[in-house]
Amino acid sequence: MNTNQRIAKVHLTSRFRQLLVAILSVSFGISMYIAMNSFMAGVNNIQTQITFTAMAHIKIYNDLPANVEPILPIPKDSNTVLMVNNARNIQYTQGIKNADAIKNDILNMPEITGVALQLNQNVFIRNGVSKTSASLSGIETVNENALFQTSEYIIEGDISELDKRSDGIILGTGLARTIGVNTGNTISITTSDDVSKTFKVIGLIESGNKGADKTRALISIQTARQLFSKNKSYATDVLVNTNNYNNARLVSEKISKLTDYKVESWQEGNAQLVSSSLLRDILAIAVSLTILIVAGFGIYNIMNMTVNEKIKEIAILKAMGFNGKDIIEIFLTQSVAIGLIGGLIGLVLGNIIVQILDSVPFNIATLTTLPVDYKLRDYILAFLFGVIITLIAGYLPSRKASKVDPVEILRG
Amino acid sequence: MKAISIKNLNKYFHDPVEFQVLKDISFDVNKGEFVSIIGKSGSGKSTLLYLLSTMDTKYDGNIIINDTRVTGLKQNQLAKFRNEQIGFVFQFHFLLPEFTVLDNVMLPALKLKKKSKDEIEAEAIELLYLLGLKGQEHKKASKISGGQQQRVAISRALINSPSIIMGDEPTGNLDSKNTQIVFDVFRELAKERGQTIIAVTHDDEFAANCDRIIELSDGKLISQ
Repeated sequence: MNTNQRIAKVHLTSRFRQLLVAILSVSFGISMYIAMNSFMAGVNNIQTQITFTAMAHIKIYNDLPANVEPILPIPKDSNTVLMVNNARNIQYTQGIKNADAIKNDILNMPEITGVALQLNQNVFIRNGVSKTSASLSGIETVNENALFQTSEYIIEGDISELDKRSDGIILGTGLARTIGVNTGNTISITTSDDVSKTFKVIGLIESGNKGADKTRALISIQTARQLFSKNKSYATDVLVNTNNYNNARLVSEKISKLTDYKVESWQEGNAQLVSSSLLRDILAIAVSLTILIVAGFGIYNIMNMTVNEKIKEIAILKAMGFNGKDIIEIFLTQSVAIGLIGGLIGLVLGNIIVQILDSVPFNIATLTTLPVDYKLRDYILAFLFGVIITLIAGYLPSRKASKVDPVEILRG
Repeated sequence: MKAISIKNLNKYFHDPVEFQVLKDISFDVNKGEFVSIIGKSGSGKSTLLYLLSTMDTKYDGNIIINDTRVTGLKQNQLAKFRNEQIGFVFQFHFLLPEFTVLDNVMLPALKLKKKSKDEIEAEAIELLYLLGLKGQEHKKASKISGGQQQRVAISRALINSPSIIMGDEPTGNLDSKNTQIVFDVFRELAKERGQTIIAVTHDDEFAANCDRIIELSDGKLISQ
């Protein structure tokens, strides 16, 4: 420890209460930064988790062609008038006939973690006199489960039963209530082509999304193909999961080179989710930085008071031969010490707050406690910001101290 | 051998109104001389001392100390120069109250870094003993009496063995007994160590016992 640091140490330790206040303000700022960001990250995680229980990162389907070819070429000479009445963009094919080929192609890509085929159609479900429309999904049970953990939301029955019996159907809880059925009852399904088939309810599913649970019905994809008289490899949607949902857009661009069908990443269809998680991040950073800056003002204030209080001593030190740099070092050392000690305490305190949040009961949807995320990055950034802010807050008063004119002070 | 040589020193105060404090002052001080500067209040004697101490740099003229022209040097160079060459004793002791007596004495030497910490400590203790402060070393500077504090301040001024010791009314706050002690210390330093001593004083008896008296009146040198 050199002479300047020793002087700084004496200054700090001789004003214990002020030191404590300064350290606490830094600790508070840093711990709030950590708590806010951990909480927001937790909320964002749970949001995406909920989102992806029903939605794949990338969806491939047969869309209406985006560019409509004109039926007649636009006439070149201005004396000809072109009139086409009631032109329509007609979809000549529906669904994807060779979904298995696409699936195999996609599975070769390294970023892909899973692919599942679905056959989705709207149907009527009838139980005696009560009837309602439902969206029927023919699913590949194993792949579907791998992508969406569907079995976790099945509250009665077993998803693998769908493969074992071709007349099995799993209904959303809301849907089952609407038409008044339970597990074991039979219902009849009518397609838009007026084909009817009787199914037996072998299970109920509740995903937490009430709207979806009121219309959702699951059968196996083979049964669905039969019902709609489609070929063996037919599907309406190819659902793809990637190893990182944030990269879905990039991967979807890659996939669209492999196929002519429409490839849509989840961000394209859900701009509101992307924007709300971005807004939460911005809010968390803004609030926590504000707290840190306020803590910085606290330090600035305390260091300023210290400099004013010690102005005579600064003058004496200068008279004895200490130069401006020494004075800056003495006072900057004090604020750096406050920043480092406050920072370390803040990290521990922040972690404790996050753990407390983590154990606060919060029973909504699938949550039992408040969602938080433990990320090392937050801790490093909080510490870094804290130290930088104390450095700036300490530098200004130190520079003022270094400019003290000893003659003015000592002559009184 | 000249310790201090000043030529045509002029100093103005600009606030609140333009006022010439020192008017064309020139004199020399030899090595080992014990000089006192006297004059009425407002005659400019303290101002002159602060110019000599190199702390105040806003003046016209030339100051040469130990063959170094200090006029025109940068603040940091002057700080280093003061640290090595000049010891300063103020009217009020101006010790650092949160440090021990020993630390107060050691600080200028620790800054100079010419000797190891142990050597500095030994020297500081020796100086404190010389000034009759045995047993006070580890007390806080704010916890000893006024006379003792002034002697600590003198020890601090002496720790780097400066060639020049300056005092701004070093005995102004002391009773006659303590004044005598301080005077004797100065006398002895000048005589035995050959250190030059310049003290501003109001005390006629103090001044009368010096080697030489420089008298100022209204910013002019009237006798030396």
